[in-house]
Amino acid sequence: MSRRIAIVEDEAAIRENYADVLRKQGYDVMTYVNRKDAMAAFDIRLPSLAIIDIGLENEIDGGFTLCQTLRSLSDTIPIIFLTARDNDFDTVSGLRMGADDYLTKDISLPHLTARIAALFRRLDVIDQPTSPENLLQRDKLSLDIGRLTIQWDENPVPLTVTEFWMVHALAKFPGHVKSRQVLMQESKIFVDGSTITSHIKRIRKKFMLIDEAFDCIETVYGMGYRWNLSPDSIN
Amino acid sequence: MNFKLKNPFGIRSKLVFLSSFLLVIPWLGYRYILVMEDYLRRGQEQTVLGMAQALASALNERPELFDEGSYSPARQSEDLYVYPVFSPLSLNDGELIDWREYQQYEVDYGRDDYLRTSLNPLRVYARDNSLSFKNMVGEYNGSLYAYFKVTDDKIVYRSRDTLSVHRSDFLQISMLSKEGNAVNRFVVAPHEPEFLYPFKVGPDFSDPIHEERISGQWYETDDGYEIELQIPMEMLGDRLGFALFDVDDPESRAISTVIGTYKVADAERLGSLRLPTPEIDRIVAGMDHSNSRIQVVDRSGRVLLTVGDIQSASGLQLSSRSADQQSNNYWVYIKDKILNPLYYRILTKPSNDFIDELYSEVSRDGAHIDSALVGTANTQFRTLADTQTRLLEAAYPILANGEVMGAVVVDQNMNGLRTFRNQALESLFNTILAVMFLVMFGLFFFASRISSRIRGLRNQAESIIDDSGRVQNTIVASQNSDEIGDLSRSFSNIVERLSQYTSYLENMSSRLSHELRTPVTVVRSSLENLGMTEKNEESAIYIERAEEGIKRLNLILTNMSEATRLEQMLQTSEKEKIDLNKVVHGCVEGYKLAYPEANFERDAPEYSILISGVPEYIAQLLDKLVANAVEFSYKDQPITVYCRTLRDHAVVKIINAGPFLPEEMKDRLFESMISVRPQEKQKQPHLGIGLHIARIIADFHGGQISAENRLDKEGVIITLVVPLFYK
Repeated sequence: MSRRIAIVEDEAAIRENYADVLRKQGYDVMTYVNRKDAMAAFDIRLPSLAIIDIGLENEIDGGFTLCQTLRSLSDTIPIIFLTARDNDFDTVSGLRMGADDYLTKDISLPHLTARIAALFRRLDVIDQPTSPENLLQRDKLSLDIGRLTIQWDENPVPLTVTEFWMVHALAKFPGHVKSRQVLMQESKIFVDGSTITSHIKRIRKKFMLIDEAFDCIETVYGMGYRWNLSPDSIN
Repeated sequence: MNFKLKNPFGIRSKLVFLSSFLLVIPWLGYRYILVMEDYLRRGQEQTVLGMAQALASALNERPELFDEGSYSPARQSEDLYVYPVFSPLSLNDGELIDWREYQQYEVDYGRDDYLRTSLNPLRVYARDNSLSFKNMVGEYNGSLYAYFKVTDDKIVYRSRDTLSVHRSDFLQISMLSKEGNAVNRFVVAPHEPEFLYPFKVGPDFSDPIHEERISGQWYETDDGYEIELQIPMEMLGDRLGFALFDVDDPESRAISTVIGTYKVADAERLGSLRLPTPEIDRIVAGMDHSNSRIQVVDRSGRVLLTVGDIQSASGLQLSSRSADQQSNNYWVYIKDKILNPLYYRILTKPSNDFIDELYSEVSRDGAHIDSALVGTANTQFRTLADTQTRLLEAAYPILANGEVMGAVVVDQNMNGLRTFRNQALESLFNTILAVMFLVMFGLFFFASRISSRIRGLRNQAESIIDDSGRVQNTIVASQNSDEIGDLSRSFSNIVERLSQYTSYLENMSSRLSHELRTPVTVVRSSLENLGMTEKNEESAIYIERAEEGIKRLNLILTNMSEATRLEQMLQTSEKEKIDLNKVVHGCVEGYKLAYPEANFERDAPEYSILISGVPEYIAQLLDKLVANAVEFSYKDQPITVYCRTLRDHAVVKIINAGPFLPEEMKDRLFESMISVRPQEKQKQPHLGIGLHIARIIADFHGGQISAENRLDKEGVIITLVVPLFYK
């Protein structure tokens, strides 16, 4: 069964370019110009994955509304925001709406397709048992590279794919400083330094929701970030 | 910024200077009261002259009043006129010279004053004129003095061998006792001219007892004898009578004649003791309460009588002000201790304690009297040299048959008027002082308010735009409807529009980048699609170049919106207590790795420098500064990162050796889109966003950032000043 991807984007050229690439990847792609068309189609049949722009024709926040509706229809369907808005506020809002990732339009097509593939893979492996070679255990942290999921002290941490790749990049070699540049490459995004800073902040917050005392991600001023093993595990 | 010398004359001092013209008001008031005083003085002059005229009219055409010698009061009853005597009288001088001019008031008693007594019961009328006397009664120093000039042809003294006191020439003094219930009789019957030895006797001259309180002298004259005596006033009731008993025959010693000051020898018929009210006196006495001294002089300037004294003759009756003086002690204190001494440096305070040395009881002279005595009424002012008291004197001639008989002189002192004027001036000055104080205070308050509002507006206006020309604050539009409020509103309006424009400019790059992103995405995704499909080697090169260009364009767009993104993030960031020294240390270690070709030096103390901030942003700030410093450094020259505390601030300096900053760019360096890079250095796109971001972060931490050229050698110092953590 081929994957059905819905692209909701009002800019025709972009929409068609993305659709072409994804079709070449073998996906089934449907494109919608505005929220109404998209909703009408979603009511009939849900796609496997949705790529949504925030500003849709005359609705400034149409994408957000669409995302909320879609999430209410299905808890599992991966939703990606792909937008020109690169500010922190929109990013936080979008992720809070239940989106699986928030990408700016700077992202290159290969990076985009990599993410889509990752999201589908995560969806696929949910029911399968974890193969031990895909597991990475660091102290309380356990990464499942196959499923793209993370557990802290046996509790799942809800990270986006981008965030997962960042944590993976850090935790792969604990104690090594990863510069922002490296983190960008690893997480397959292209942003400026302050965006990385806010990503790290969000990751810390998510961990701290589970464990108040979480402080494994250390900022090394002027260089980047480092995953520290907690002192008691070293002892 | 050119700060001119501050105007030394503010609105306040100008208003106070202008209000000092109010001082003219008390001067005008003073002038006005002086004019008033002049009017009042003329009025008083007319009044005094009128009074003199009225009196003179009453005395006109009565020449007999001025007849020599007839000025003694006509005797009309048994009453005795007691004249006040102002000079001491001597009893034992043997003559009456010490009575001086009072002798003119003596009263004659003669045949008509025959008195029938128990000693001469048979004779009803006087047989002849062999006995008569002149009597004068005066009072001096608590004693009644009297003298009797007796004309008697034969003097018969009391015989030394008899006890009876009524068988010789004698003087009987009858008086009502102090209690008023009995008549006391005293007899003076000497053995010879001697110091008196009076007796108290009964009704029938029996039981003579010596009475020592009555003293006197009996001495003989050519035609009779004279008696002078003194009776203490406390012995006297209100009735008194004298009777002289005459014995002519030394053998039989029978009383031949009795002449008394009373008609019937009866207690009820004794005369009263009276003050003399001769005719002129009675006429003048009507004017007694006129607050003047009135004198009548005759043609030779002799004073015939005086009513009133000049000390109390103030002309004006002033109401007593004691009532309101009780009301407010504090005010009275201020008035008495501060104001009045001040006023009376200018004003003269008249004193009632003065002596009119020209005045005498006997005679008067002066230009006004001379003038009146030739027939012309006149007034004059006289100032007493020692007390500054001015006297107003008016003289009006008294005419009889077209001839000047004398003059009425009315004197008043001007103290009443002067006091009145002083009181008026005092109350004027008090009122004006109070009003001026209030007005000055009001003006000062008003001016202070205006100038403080203007200063407030100026301070607001100065704080709108910071050193680099950014609109930072707005002006709070005043609600006042006056001109200053209007100015404030129009300022507020201007600033609002200016800040709108500034914010438009500041957000332009962000919006521009946002708008450009969509077409760039179109181009890039198209190129990527093309790259995936196109296998032609030649076209692949072009696609690669186009993608390279798009990447740079993308970088530019990201940089352009970086500042806006940062500001948005700062809004949600919370500051914490951090060690700036540690952050700087970590950063410098990082830079050593990141820029292996550069030579970093850290100049920092070991202790921690606590500030309130976000370490990531501080690091980002340092990143930008250090990136600039590395770029502009000469090869192999060290870049020093300095970190210290200075009073209550932390100071971080990035010092490099490199080309100087252009002088005019130093202040603008931290503005958006300002770059001093020469064109050939632009390997990477630079929009002058880096230092702008540094300043945004510095502002977020409440600090300041500035750039200056090094003084010791070619190079630049960028200084960051951040307040220390303060709990």
